[in-house]
Amino acid sequence: MSPQADWEEIERLFHAAIDLPVDERQALLASASAPVRAEVESLLKADGETFFAAPPAHLAADLVEHQPGALTAGQRIGKYEIESLITIGGMGEVYRAHDPSGIPVALKILRRHLVASPHAVARFETEARAASALHHPNIVTVLESGDSPAGMFIAMEWVEGRTFRETLNAGAVDAAQALDWARQAARALAAAHAAEILHRDIKPENIIIRPDGVLKVLDFGLARLAGPVRLEMNSRGASGTISGTLSGTLLYMSPEIFRGEVASSAADVFSLGALLYEMWTGQHPFAGETPLDVFEAIECRPVAAPSTLRAGIPPEIDALLLRMLDRDPALRPAADEVCGVLNRFSAKT
Amino acid sequence: MNPEGEITGLLTAWGKGDQNALNELMPLVYNELHRMARRAWSGQNQGHTLQPTALINEAYLKLAGSANASFQDRRHFFAVACTAMRQILVNHAKSRQTGKRGNGQFVLSLDEVQPAVNQEAAEVVALHEALERLQAIDERKSRVVEMRYFGGLSIEETAEALGVSVITVNRDWRLARTWLIREMGGGGS
Repeated sequence: MSPQADWEEIERLFHAAIDLPVDERQALLASASAPVRAEVESLLKADGETFFAAPPAHLAADLVEHQPGALTAGQRIGKYEIESLITIGGMGEVYRAHDPSGIPVALKILRRHLVASPHAVARFETEARAASALHHPNIVTVLESGDSPAGMFIAMEWVEGRTFRETLNAGAVDAAQALDWARQAARALAAAHAAEILHRDIKPENIIIRPDGVLKVLDFGLARLAGPVRLEMNSRGASGTISGTLSGTLLYMSPEIFRGEVASSAADVFSLGALLYEMWTGQHPFAGETPLDVFEAIECRPVAAPSTLRAGIPPEIDALLLRMLDRDPALRPAADEVCGVLNRFSAKT
Repeated sequence: MNPEGEITGLLTAWGKGDQNALNELMPLVYNELHRMARRAWSGQNQGHTLQPTALINEAYLKLAGSANASFQDRRHFFAVACTAMRQILVNHAKSRQTGKRGNGQFVLSLDEVQPAVNQEAAEVVALHEALERLQAIDERKSRVVEMRYFGGLSIEETAEALGVSVITVNRDWRLARTWLIREMGGGGS
């Protein structure tokens, strides 16, 4: 039979068999040639999946709403006037804007359809309100949050500077500078924890260093809207690789967060510990070739004492960093204790 | 000539069997749909989700809705628009998958959430590739999927656009979906 005739036969048998009980299908297919029969059986097995039942509405909405620079200079979001696009992320954009008196702000727009669930939206609103109550010289101030036709927005203090990631990439940080930044970061964390606000995603990308050396932590309480972090394999499960978006954060994630436990202040201390370790030694404590290597390192690789990696790191700092990176959250110092140790050491030097 | 008149003219020519008209039509429709998608965003009434089919209808009304557009033109327009919409969505899905991460002063830590969009982007690209294989076996079934999935047309609208019966579209849709799910390795979760 020609391929075309086969295809017509396959089609006819598929429709004839699809609504029959399974045992009656066998009789129907008995007369077909082996290849036709195999094809029909394989199709019958695949029937009933709900995959692509509906048009890709999220993607279409994304196409419409997520054009680079969807908001243009002069447009208004709340009382703020857009100046320029700063960056585009998976869930929205950040713009430079200004308020009616001309004071610059960073405006973060969260696109509603890009958020995983309505629950996450509600949490975003709660967290944004809580974060706006935080006022500390080392924390980027949330000025206002609200809703607009473009999506939910957060207006934040505009901070000129570069991210801590860029600072680390630029080269080794000298000992006095490292101590100063460590104290500033620890003060930010202690202040937030005192107000019962967790960061949940401390990493070098979320810290900005101003040209005058002042350190500012960004996005308190706003990270990780999805709750416990889940590893999502590539959506068709073909390669089984860990999606790229997670890997940046992975390096600063505490073992208990991996296990899916609810974030606590000790998890923030762990993340800060990993970041300070990297600053002091120039090496990440859990560096690995692949995300799975990183998992393994965080879960079970012993952390080398910082002083073994770089000469001149004093024993107090050695001990403090190792305690912050303890696998047992209960054994880690609280953020204000980290401040205390750093202050005492600073006074001594 | 203005795009409206040009598109109407090309639709008529294509309807009369001029295959070259289709080649000229496609980029025009593609650009118009894409432009409308962008404009829909900056307009006053911003819906949070915009269905492809709404966009296609709006494009049709604007481009070919003039008094002299015939029923035949409408059918042809929908056929072209669904193909254009498929290409727009596939291109957008691909660019999203390979898109650059934010590298400015601020990095959105909100990125860690895996949005439904990424899932659909992967689905769209995989489906597009499987659909090209189906097209080689059965052109009409691939068109049915294109119209239903990428264009968001209903069974009835698809039947009208293809000039076949509703029963045929129903049967085509069921077999084509099953075939594609099998091709794509058992489908989604």
